[in-house]
Amino acid sequence: MFRWNDEQLMVRDAVRQFIDKEIRPHVEEFEHGDTPPYDVLRKLFATFGMDSMARDRFKRQIEFERTAADAVARGETPPEKPKREGGFDPSMQMIPIIELCRVSPGMVTAMGVSMGLTAASINSKGTIAQKERWVPELLTLEKIGAWAITEPDSGSDAFGSMRATARRDGDEYLLNGQKTFITNGPYADTIVYICKLDEGNDPAERKILSFVLDAGMEGLEQSKPLRKMGMHSSPTGMLFLNDVRVGRDRLIGETEDVPAGGRSGAKDTFAMERSGVAAMALGVISECLDLSIDYAKNRVQFGQPIGQFQLIQEKLARMEVARLNVENLVFRYIEMVQAGVSLSFAEASAMKLYSARAATEVALEAVQLFGGNGYMAEYRVEQLARDAKVLQIYAGTDEQQIIAIAKDLLRE
Amino acid sequence: MNIVVCAKQIPDPAEPGELDPETKTLKRDGKLILDESDMYGVEMALQLADNAGGGEVTLVSMAPDNKVDGIRTGLAMGAAKAVLVSDPALAGTDALGTAKVLAAAVGKVEGADLVLTATESSDGYTGTVPEQLAELLGLPSVTFAKHIEIADGKVKVQRQTDAGYDEVECPLPCVVSVTAGVVEPRYPSFKGIMAAKSKPLDQLALADTGLEADQVGWAGGGQEIVGVEDAPEREAGEIIEDDGTGAEKIVAYLENLKLV
Repeated sequence: MFRWNDEQLMVRDAVRQFIDKEIRPHVEEFEHGDTPPYDVLRKLFATFGMDSMARDRFKRQIEFERTAADAVARGETPPEKPKREGGFDPSMQMIPIIELCRVSPGMVTAMGVSMGLTAASINSKGTIAQKERWVPELLTLEKIGAWAITEPDSGSDAFGSMRATARRDGDEYLLNGQKTFITNGPYADTIVYICKLDEGNDPAERKILSFVLDAGMEGLEQSKPLRKMGMHSSPTGMLFLNDVRVGRDRLIGETEDVPAGGRSGAKDTFAMERSGVAAMALGVISECLDLSIDYAKNRVQFGQPIGQFQLIQEKLARMEVARLNVENLVFRYIEMVQAGVSLSFAEASAMKLYSARAATEVALEAVQLFGGNGYMAEYRVEQLARDAKVLQIYAGTDEQQIIAIAKDLLRE
Repeated sequence: MNIVVCAKQIPDPAEPGELDPETKTLKRDGKLILDESDMYGVEMALQLADNAGGGEVTLVSMAPDNKVDGIRTGLAMGAAKAVLVSDPALAGTDALGTAKVLAAAVGKVEGADLVLTATESSDGYTGTVPEQLAELLGLPSVTFAKHIEIADGKVKVQRQTDAGYDEVECPLPCVVSVTAGVVEPRYPSFKGIMAAKSKPLDQLALADTGLEADQVGWAGGGQEIVGVEDAPEREAGEIIEDDGTGAEKIVAYLENLKLV
């Protein structure tokens, strides 16, 4: 794949028209007015039938899982997982991400965490009953999800420094702890809460468990949105848990015996999150480049458009190189998914590291190219530069990506 | 309820248009899109078919060079199939020639209860094709519909006028032209986009329509573009210095134009 095909371009154009009509004119309200992004995202989903497609896909998945479970129960060999139906194209998910990120990357953060992290973590490790209980409404954005791992003292060292606990209490658990920087935290209906099983043992040896919580449960408090540098259209908050009582039905997988002590589940989720960041970066880079080209052609200084100056040309050329590289990473990802090949953790990390850095560099260079105007909120590159920075921080910092890549390279 | 919608593919208005210096007509060699004017007809047709509890929406179109991008948009919105007449001989076809070709294409669609068109295309603006088409098909027609209902084998139309609208009725089958902006055209769903490619698209050459090459294209044209000139420069306005009577002078100026 070296360019979008006709169908993908049609999807892109349709989504672009929707965004130009429904989001661009209101971007101020989303970025500076504390208007949550969920209603317009739901409209996006309904308009393009993304909600019904997700529902259908989920239904087929559950039907297969039931058949497989029944076969195992009868002592038979479970059927092979059917290949994804012909025509499944991951670009149907990537293109809306790219197009939304041209205008409001925060919306993708809010959407991605709800569907991509919260729903996926229940859908990959939950029981069939748990999946049916929580996943469909998350996939369609009828309900908003949050995935809570980060704590005030636990960021990159997510598991090592984690203090959030689950303690057994009869057949139930009592959950305690504090989470922060939680995307959708203030408004989430469904929260995946990641914590350590406290059996009085050494915290380093404790199992990592994930529980599903619903907003309004006794002892659960969701903070107001935190003020941030960028991604203002993505509400971020804190969660406080004080003796939140949950049954085993809310423990993902309904078992404490999770592989690798629970650490692998979160790792799978990280890999998926990292590839999504490349699509986000492509949106930011494409928009910054388009805006910069237009400005370079029309901004006149010293009697000529600034695009005539070689120092400006150098910036544009570097932006184009970044755009091509990130686009190729996205194309590669799409083709791998279509071929049924998974990205390794290190590959996903490399993709995220390069794309996030490229997005930040391009966006800051766009601000520089725009000069004083670039520093003004009126010119859109200012927002995109603030938004881009977090791509190097969330979903694993650049430093964590480097560690993951190096670890894989130096593996014996 | 089977509905045919005439759908024109036009050069994307977002791209700068260019005239062919030889023919003095719009160059159409780039990407073509579905004329926005026709999206209202497609949407109206889909809604009418839905309300009737079933039936198919068929697009008919003509283009000199087999381009289908615009047609695919209509199919992605929900039309079931399309007939495209495409032939190099069609280049330069005027409004009446277009109506002849469309009438032949509509004739290929079996069981059409209603033919919808836009009132005019966004690139040619002749606004005559709907009536010509009705005449050639031998069907009654209503123009400038802002609302359509189907009942008792008739179409009930609110026909837009300068003052408001008239309520008119017309027996089916008939041709109705739909004004722009009367319905909100839907976005094609992702599923619709993916399905569009596999929907039937019947591509006909001129010979398949029963028309001769001298009835269409430059040969069949009853019109000739003899020249293209720039629009005249805007004339300088009148500057009124306010010496205390400025308001009166402005009122007098507007009265002279019969604006107040």
